[in-house]
Amino acid sequence: MLTYTPGETLAHRLDPRGKLAVQFGFAIAVFAGPAVPWLPAMLALAVGCLLLAGLSVWRALRAYWVVLVVLSLGPVLGAVTIGPPWIQPERGLDSLRSVARVVPVLFVSAAFVHSTPVRETRAAIQRTVPGRFGQLLGVGVALTFRFIPVVREDLRRIREAVLARGGERRPLRDRAGRITTLALARSMARADRLSVALQARCFAWNPTLPRLSFAPVDYAVLALAAGLALSPLLWL
Amino acid sequence: MSQEYSDSVDLVNAGTVAYLSGAVLIAALTAVLAQFSIDLPGGVPFSFQPFGVFFAGVLLGPIWGGFSMLLYLLVGIAGAPVFSNGTAGVGIVLGPTGGFLISYVFAAAAIGLVAHRSLDPVGVDDLPAVGVTAGLVVGSAIIYAIGVPWFAEVQGWTLPRAAGFMAPFAVGDAVKIAITVGIVAGGNELLERP
Amino acid sequence: MITVRDLVHEFDGERVLDGVSLTIADGEWVVLAGPNGSGKTTLVRHFNALLEPDDGEVQIGGVPAAENPVRARTSVGMVFQSPRDQFVAATVGADVAFGPENLGLDHDEIDRRVAEALGAVNMADREEERIDELSGGEQARVAIAGALAMEPDHLVLDEPFTGLDWPARRSALQRLDTLAADGTGIVFVTHDVRDVLDRADRVVGLESGTVAFDLPPDDARQRLAEIDVRVPGPGAG
Repeated sequence: MLTYTPGETLAHRLDPRGKLAVQFGFAIAVFAGPAVPWLPAMLALAVGCLLLAGLSVWRALRAYWVVLVVLSLGPVLGAVTIGPPWIQPERGLDSLRSVARVVPVLFVSAAFVHSTPVRETRAAIQRTVPGRFGQLLGVGVALTFRFIPVVREDLRRIREAVLARGGERRPLRDRAGRITTLALARSMARADRLSVALQARCFAWNPTLPRLSFAPVDYAVLALAAGLALSPLLWL
Repeated sequence: MSQEYSDSVDLVNAGTVAYLSGAVLIAALTAVLAQFSIDLPGGVPFSFQPFGVFFAGVLLGPIWGGFSMLLYLLVGIAGAPVFSNGTAGVGIVLGPTGGFLISYVFAAAAIGLVAHRSLDPVGVDDLPAVGVTAGLVVGSAIIYAIGVPWFAEVQGWTLPRAAGFMAPFAVGDAVKIAITVGIVAGGNELLERP
Repeated sequence: MITVRDLVHEFDGERVLDGVSLTIADGEWVVLAGPNGSGKTTLVRHFNALLEPDDGEVQIGGVPAAENPVRARTSVGMVFQSPRDQFVAATVGADVAFGPENLGLDHDEIDRRVAEALGAVNMADREEERIDELSGGEQARVAIAGALAMEPDHLVLDEPFTGLDWPARRSALQRLDTLAADGTGIVFVTHDVRDVLDRADRVVGLESGTVAFDLPPDDARQRLAEIDVRVPGPGAG
């Protein structure tokens, strides 16, 4: 599974805001640009991002293998027709041009995920999205990340309990209803307690925001992001 | 000595904190349910992910329900392995099934709007089953209306071909709507909140 | 100083608190004991302005808590039952920093408070550890550090050690002793006074939303049994 892994690479040291901007700029550049020769160049850039984050192409491919299987169905199934002529290669090629664009975007996001802890993205959100909405979004992301393992553990126990009482023999609808009701009830009880705990710790609209600062290299990253986002102008 | 903060600290009011907490837990629940499915006869997976979207709208109403799904999306973009098969990152959101993920924000908001018929949610006990059912049907329609064309676009397929490919996955949706209505409508002591 | 005067709290038409009056001085070690449903948790939530009185008043340092919740929440730190639901961040340091961040303190002061609070619960230099990978006892201590980072005058602990084994409880209690020695007031809410009776200056017994008694520990033993609170036998500890 691909998650944040502490490290000392250049990608790890970059400001999260610049890295987020590059991802979106990169996606714009890839989806709005032509397939040849632009796409191979973008793929090379994406592989460069992976290497900067200390991640091999193989690991990125393995992390996203299910998506890659779905993508590979594009040209295969796209070329097949029900009835004559049975195979239309040019349709498959159309599909290939389309799905191939997703691969470099996946690589760049793999580099980001591998090199950026969730709390830095949270800081980037709080420092970029203005006002109360940004504050709720930032704190909300941090809290959601914190509660995922707690809820996962709840669901595991509920499934075990339902299994232990012969739940496997019940019809699907009954079983699924039981599991989701219990999981939901437990989550809502946790929400009530979390709500009290947040208030007790003076949860405020105007906290000290997490430390983030731009180094010279981060400005270069931002310039790259801007350049990528504007690259579709080249093809007008 | 604590006097010094009193004027400067702008506390978030209790109602907002309660809804934020609810949105956080539903987002976390959606993330966990997305990793969980039961195989139906014939090997089609019965995914639990839609329940998160359904509960977000029904329990939290349009605004906080939509917000909850936005949190789910963002925490995945930030790198938590919350999308199907434990994946994460912008690449998934922009990939073939990304339309479904993005549609959750709108679906939860629409479910909340139809079920509660107001921007401010009412208590779950007071929701009529017919309103909840209508909301969930509208929400499911939105999920497919955004998800399938997006899938077709990324795969470079025609819309009918994409729809045909997705159809088996929709098998369980009517069942999921029925289960959700059964859980929330007509009062559920497990979900009563103080 | 926490001053409670004729406090009434109603829920669903029932009086959960029915005219409670109580004063807790700075630096005092108080056990608030009572069976489940006696109103203990409701009472301490009023200390923190987490609930509003239906009648009567709670003052923190002479100011009504409801009028100045920030003051109430900074001078009374709360540690709740089930620490897992009160953590707001995935790592130890980020969680403990949450309170000071909300107070708008600068980063150096936040770092100082986090380090000091973690030191006080014997968790120094463990800022980067993931909370979900800690033991139950360590989680309880991090929860205490989260409250301490507000530099409160009183620390209120509501059944904080439920489910912990004795070594973990002992370790946390030793930390409370040190804090008390340094002048922090402790209010320990429990239905089981075994670990804390000998540490307290006073024992306040709650029953059905009223103060049944308010006595020194030795005098409280007999009365505790009357309100169905388990009392340590001679020599137990």
